[in-house]
Amino acid sequence: MQPVSTPAKIAYVIDPRFRGGTSSAVAAELEVVSAFAKVEVYALSTAMFSGQAVAPQLARACARLNIPLTWDPVDISADLVILHNPSCLKFQDRLGTRILTDRLIVVTHENFVRPGGHEGFDVATCLDQIARASVALRRELAPISAWNRETVLQWSAKHSPAHGWEVLEEDWFNICAFDFLPPNPAPADRRGRHSRPGFEKFPGPAAMLQCFPETARRNLILGADAFLKAGLVPEHWDARPFGAMPVADYFDQIDFFVYFTAPTWRESFGRVLAEAIAAGKIAITDPETARTFSGAAIAAQPEQVNDIIASYIAHPKDYEADVRAAQEHLKQFSPDCFADRFGTLLTGPARVYA
Amino acid sequence: MILLCSGQVSAKQFDALLLFAAQLEGRGHPVAIHPAALPEDVLQQQKYEIAPWLTDDEDIDADTVLVIGSEAISDDCQHLLRTLECGAETRIWALGHFRTYQEEISARTKIAYATGQEPEVLNLIGPQRPLLLDGQAAPLSTPLRAEPDQRDGAVTRLLVFVPAEELEPGEALSRLAELNYSPKIDLHVLTNARGKGIIRRSSHAELSVIGYVELPPAQIINYVDVVAFFGPNVPGERMAALALLAAGAGKVVIDCTTAASFATSGAPVLKGPSHLASLLGYLSDVVLDQRLEIGRRTLKSPWLAQFDGAALDRDLKLAPPKPAAVPQAPQTLFFPTNGNGLGHAQRCALIAEAMSDAVTRRFAAFPSCIDLLERRGFGCVPMISRSTEHEDDFAADLVNYLRLRNVLKRGDGFVFDGGYVFDSVYRTISDLQIPAVWIRRGLWQAGQINPTALERERAFSRVIVPQECFPELNTDYSTGAHISNVGPIVREGRLTSDEVAGLRERLGRHFDRSVKTLVLTMLGGGVASERTAQAQRLCSLLERRPDCLHLIVAWPNAMVADGLFGWQNSHVVRTAHTLDLCQAADLTVSAVGYNSFHEILYAGVPAIFIPQSAPFLDDQERRARAAADRHLAALVLDEELLMLEREVSAFLDGSKADEVRAALREANLQTPGNRDAAELIENEVAA
Repeated sequence: MQPVSTPAKIAYVIDPRFRGGTSSAVAAELEVVSAFAKVEVYALSTAMFSGQAVAPQLARACARLNIPLTWDPVDISADLVILHNPSCLKFQDRLGTRILTDRLIVVTHENFVRPGGHEGFDVATCLDQIARASVALRRELAPISAWNRETVLQWSAKHSPAHGWEVLEEDWFNICAFDFLPPNPAPADRRGRHSRPGFEKFPGPAAMLQCFPETARRNLILGADAFLKAGLVPEHWDARPFGAMPVADYFDQIDFFVYFTAPTWRESFGRVLAEAIAAGKIAITDPETARTFSGAAIAAQPEQVNDIIASYIAHPKDYEADVRAAQEHLKQFSPDCFADRFGTLLTGPARVYA
Repeated sequence: MILLCSGQVSAKQFDALLLFAAQLEGRGHPVAIHPAALPEDVLQQQKYEIAPWLTDDEDIDADTVLVIGSEAISDDCQHLLRTLECGAETRIWALGHFRTYQEEISARTKIAYATGQEPEVLNLIGPQRPLLLDGQAAPLSTPLRAEPDQRDGAVTRLLVFVPAEELEPGEALSRLAELNYSPKIDLHVLTNARGKGIIRRSSHAELSVIGYVELPPAQIINYVDVVAFFGPNVPGERMAALALLAAGAGKVVIDCTTAASFATSGAPVLKGPSHLASLLGYLSDVVLDQRLEIGRRTLKSPWLAQFDGAALDRDLKLAPPKPAAVPQAPQTLFFPTNGNGLGHAQRCALIAEAMSDAVTRRFAAFPSCIDLLERRGFGCVPMISRSTEHEDDFAADLVNYLRLRNVLKRGDGFVFDGGYVFDSVYRTISDLQIPAVWIRRGLWQAGQINPTALERERAFSRVIVPQECFPELNTDYSTGAHISNVGPIVREGRLTSDEVAGLRERLGRHFDRSVKTLVLTMLGGGVASERTAQAQRLCSLLERRPDCLHLIVAWPNAMVADGLFGWQNSHVVRTAHTLDLCQAADLTVSAVGYNSFHEILYAGVPAIFIPQSAPFLDDQERRARAAADRHLAALVLDEELLMLEREVSAFLDGSKADEVRAALREANLQTPGNRDAAELIENEVAA
């Protein structure tokens, strides 16, 4: 009898109710991985997302791939188990599902520590739950970006986690499968930002005014729920709540995407910047966040934003060239790149039967 | 400045903020609370509590921000923190009862996101600080006294907390009444507004009741030596704070709750009977003779030391409070209510004038009285009168409370003259614990005599009751060693016949006419009683008389009817020299307020009294009738216009004025009490 190679059985373990870029990234990943492995998706109903619905992009992906969501199984057995976003366990102390696998990869979407060194969440509690509930030959943490990796290493060095967690060498990046739109050949001082409305997503009032000054022709701020609720919207801002308009319409109205966060928080990947670049915009952000995109996003401080934008408006050719270059850079986060980088890892555990 | 915020904008956390702010201020820290911390519905009493700390954005200069209830930080709280734009030099603390490490992290991150800087975190639960009740938001603490703060003597001041539900059946009320009859106990019942209503409507309405939120806990305990709690369990955060503060002050705390909530927490409290019926016996057998010793042992409790406010300050690294500015000399501040005329201010001025010049005297006065007082040499802090324009009918008193707090300090004396003790007065005295004197004239109308009117007497160390000059007009509304009756407070200053002649001559020159007959009308400001008809009738009567000058005195803020102008003989005047004018007049027609009445009688002036009548006034008719019955004046009621005409004729054309003058010369009027009242205040302030 000829040896028969069966596709690897890969189990995804997620709380599918998380929103935003993480859900989009996991949805894209399912599409890629399903092409060369047997994928199962197990859903955890964690305390963190109690009462919320499944993220639409995940629901759509599972439906398209014909993968059922199996909620809170007693146990999971697979060649490879990929658990996304361990921070979803932070409001509980027990993971009710047992995991049996050769290799357990935990994708660390949320930074373990914040700028300044304070823990972003109770990492030990989350990792301990996973470790106690699992039997695995290897347990690995998979950072999603250089900065995210730094936080994982920083935390690990300080806390020496039990259960032999290793850190994967390659970044488990967010797959960015966007269509690229051409840049505006005659850019104007039309600025914008969009994000979920959390306070961590916005810098302080002074930095916001630097990024979106009265001198700009347009300041379109999507996700400004907090400013609107507090009645703190300067007259020269067009502030809209999160989800108030389709993202495509929003990108039609700006040429510069200016994105700074609270100095005490940082994006672990910054998918929103990738979206802006794909939409043909110049994206400006803080140096650490820009690092993820290896030059595709412009690193700056809020006080430098005006000069950067003025320079591009004065030199539209530069604008066009830089947007196109940034889009080229983005291809490193394409589905193909993901498959290339992790194909071996994902297919490696396939069992061979005689 | 310490800025206090709460994790949630809610009634519960707002009350917790008030409790915490009071503790911090009590330890000498300047405290501020941003208006954004106020929930939609704020009780009147809470508005008084927060007013001293409420600070607008532009006035906030915080070196420390303390966020209580940080275990659940809302968007509202984050908004506020973000708008503060704290600099790096501002210390920010997340205080909370964190049950997990993740809760601590969540608090820290939310504050860090909003402020852009890392807060420090203080977990208020743990082995060092047990939780007093579930859901507690305020970081409760207490100053620890070296010795029990209890009053010496055979009488124990007892505070009994009873929830309204337990007052309903009536049995509890009877038991409380029994306690109240005990000569060894000075009882105060602590309950909520509903409970207070039940008591006031019952046959035990005379019980002294303190409302649950009537005063902050730190002020309530100043009135008691022993506190007993009844009901199913710890009755909320405010009462937990009160129990803790009482223990820290070395009072005796008795836990009579069914669940023995305080006792089982390890607190240094006595476990008392859960039935009110057994309380008197328990107190007699266990507490009353031992209360000081129990208080001393309470203060030595290690459990209590966990709640030491100074330790909390150290945990929060709060800078020691700055010493007070250069100490100012003690002062005695008089605060006459505005009433419907100048009577209260006039009375206070007379007493203040009779005091030794060694005592610094000052007034807090309403606008209508300031001129009178300043002309007599007294400095005045202006107070604000009530207005229908204010959103809250107590808004003016709220501002007055802030002014009293600003102008008074420990070591000062305070004298209030008025019928109703304003919240501003009650709170200021309760807070500062300064010697306070209530000048409370009598002759209340029947409906005015009730326990509610008198319950705030507890705040005053002395009550001076200026007597009416006729004995039958004096009634004791309350009793006790702190009540002092003094003779009538009356302005005196007899004019000689030459002075009278001189005054009449000057009036003649001023009005450019011969003055053979002078009539003075003082019927009040028109606020309490409308007297335009009487005044016009007098103008009409006196217009027919040749060489007659009729002066109508208009009080400050008086409404003067158009019909009083345009007469030949009658003129409206604004003057403070009414006593002189009375003595120069052939007839005075007057309302019968305390001051006017006594001035007229003691000056021997012939007068017709027309009482004012309103539910909030004293019983002027009774006062006037007492004089008329003795033929010392005439009484004309408001509807007796023909009688008024006959009496005017009797005084001006007949011999009645002479008869009244003669009778007044013979009248045995009580010696004025100005100096006695002054001396009582001097003694009180000196004590």
